[in-house]
Amino acid sequence: MTAPLLQIADLRLAFDSWRGPVEVLHGISLNIRRGEKVALVGESGSGKSVTARIIAGLLQYQRGARISGHVAFDGKDLLGLSERAFRDLRGTAMSMVFQDPTSALNPVFTIADQFREVLGRAHKDISRAEARRRAAEALDHVLIHEPERVLASYPFQLSGGMNQRVLIAMALANQPALLLADEPGTALDVTVQDRTLHLMADLIEEVGSAVLFISHNLGVVREFADRVYVIYRGRIVEHAGTDALFHDPRHPYTRALLAAVPKISGEGLPDTLVETSDAFDAPAVIHDGCEEPPLPAGMAA
Amino acid sequence: MSSTFFKTIGIRLWTSALVLVGVSILIFCIARVIPGDPARIALGPNATQEQVELLRERLHLNESLPVQYFEFVRELFQGDLGMSLYTNRPVTTDIGDFLPATLELVVFAGILMVVVGIPLGVLAARYRDKLTDNVVRLLSLLGVVTPTFVWAVFLMLIFAFYLEILPVAGRLSQGVDPPPGVTGFYTIDALLAGQWSTFGDAFSHIILPATALALTGIGQTARLTRASVAETYDKPYVEMAQAYGFSDRRIASKYALRPAMIPSLTIMGLDFAAMLGGAFLVEAVFAWPGLARYGVETILHKDLNGIVGTVLVISAFFLIVNMLVDIAVAWLNPRIRLQKRWAG
Repeated sequence: MTAPLLQIADLRLAFDSWRGPVEVLHGISLNIRRGEKVALVGESGSGKSVTARIIAGLLQYQRGARISGHVAFDGKDLLGLSERAFRDLRGTAMSMVFQDPTSALNPVFTIADQFREVLGRAHKDISRAEARRRAAEALDHVLIHEPERVLASYPFQLSGGMNQRVLIAMALANQPALLLADEPGTALDVTVQDRTLHLMADLIEEVGSAVLFISHNLGVVREFADRVYVIYRGRIVEHAGTDALFHDPRHPYTRALLAAVPKISGEGLPDTLVETSDAFDAPAVIHDGCEEPPLPAGMAA
Repeated sequence: MSSTFFKTIGIRLWTSALVLVGVSILIFCIARVIPGDPARIALGPNATQEQVELLRERLHLNESLPVQYFEFVRELFQGDLGMSLYTNRPVTTDIGDFLPATLELVVFAGILMVVVGIPLGVLAARYRDKLTDNVVRLLSLLGVVTPTFVWAVFLMLIFAFYLEILPVAGRLSQGVDPPPGVTGFYTIDALLAGQWSTFGDAFSHIILPATALALTGIGQTARLTRASVAETYDKPYVEMAQAYGFSDRRIASKYALRPAMIPSLTIMGLDFAAMLGGAFLVEAVFAWPGLARYGVETILHKDLNGIVGTVLVISAFFLIVNMLVDIAVAWLNPRIRLQKRWAG
């Protein structure tokens, strides 16, 4: 078996506060193989987003953030990488889709300007005309039928769904090996979200990127992911193939999470919904065949 | 820029004219209700009552205020602001002489404010809570809290008196002829005429007063820019730029700066326009023959026409700067630019 594209082992994160460090992640282990779609599921504040930000290198160089453990990406040790070398990876080998598409785009530059900047990450001397042509092509791929009009627009002139498609097109324009999707489209209404997610799934399939899909929406995860990690208060509590997880949830927290999904049949939320329990702190359940692979040579402590 | 752009400019000009009319009425009345007979002050204690009466007649001072104002407007439309009782010359001539000197000073100070203040603010925001930030914050606070005339005296002492590397006062050294007047800015006129030594002399004279005048503005601009840029650094689109590996420099100088400039530009414009009035102290310290000093002299001499003329010019300057700032803001902010009308 070849080494996974992304491998995280025993990742810990603490923020300094005046009362001493506050630990946010308590040893996360997670891996993604090339072209694989992996979901990280948990409630707000469970540590999903900070995990994505560590992988993207957005937290490492911040003061007050203490990180330990191992993060290997494509044979590189991401926690030992210089800021500059890390920046070279971003926008080329890995990219990111954000929660609220409209606020993730800069309000004072046109889509064309921002798209050119993104394309410029992989193609240093791309000309204005060439960038525009490629951007229009990329927008066409996410079913934007008037790419020229969209390119000439500012984000506030476009709908949220349209901005989301633009973001997806940008994220995949440089054919990244890894896409970090941080609750994509959560800020959008459900039907638009559903449509753009399908678009994203198709495009990812086409480009062949691996995805870390961060979400609290189990319905979307079930449809979308090959494997699922459930995270609760900075710990992975269950790791399974998507089918296995939904048919045979073993950890008490996973069961509670699944039970919290409202049924469309009109029953609403069950009365016995448990919001917190000591049982949630039970040891992680790793389903068969989902054991973490050993760290690549030279990476182990 | 579209036709709506010019239409909006037209509307702005029109409203500016209305504001000027209001200002002129206000200052016209205020100048006349200050106690003291302007004719008596102008002629001195030795003049006879007949002479004073004659001057009052000539200045229409015995008429009612509305009639006086009407006379003033009638003359204004003939390009006449009346005689200055202080200099005994037409007020328009005085303004023509003194305004360029002050404008040159203010423009230099404004340039300093922008090219020093904004980069300092950006630098501080980019290295927030680090040493650079703390140094910039301390210095800019120092700039803001120290009065302009203190800076003026300080700079003069250090650079003109102790180090003797820059001239003490005036616009030109003695024996240097002013360059042929095109703009009235000695530095620019000298350049246009190709008189390099005159340019050097005029330039060395303006450095100290312009710096003294600018320091408060530089501090203010740096603080404003820092706060505004630091705020945009917390916006998702800056995180997105980082997540896509845009370089820190590009983010600081483009992606975070441009949205951040929108709110701070208006205040910077007001700061800049206020320099015209604030220039008085600097002009006094550096014996700079400018309009701000002239304005104060006219008030002290109860020179009615001089006061009204100076105030009108300064008001017009305010309005023009404000309009330019609005245009700049609209250019920076597509949300405003693409509106059908962005008239305020």
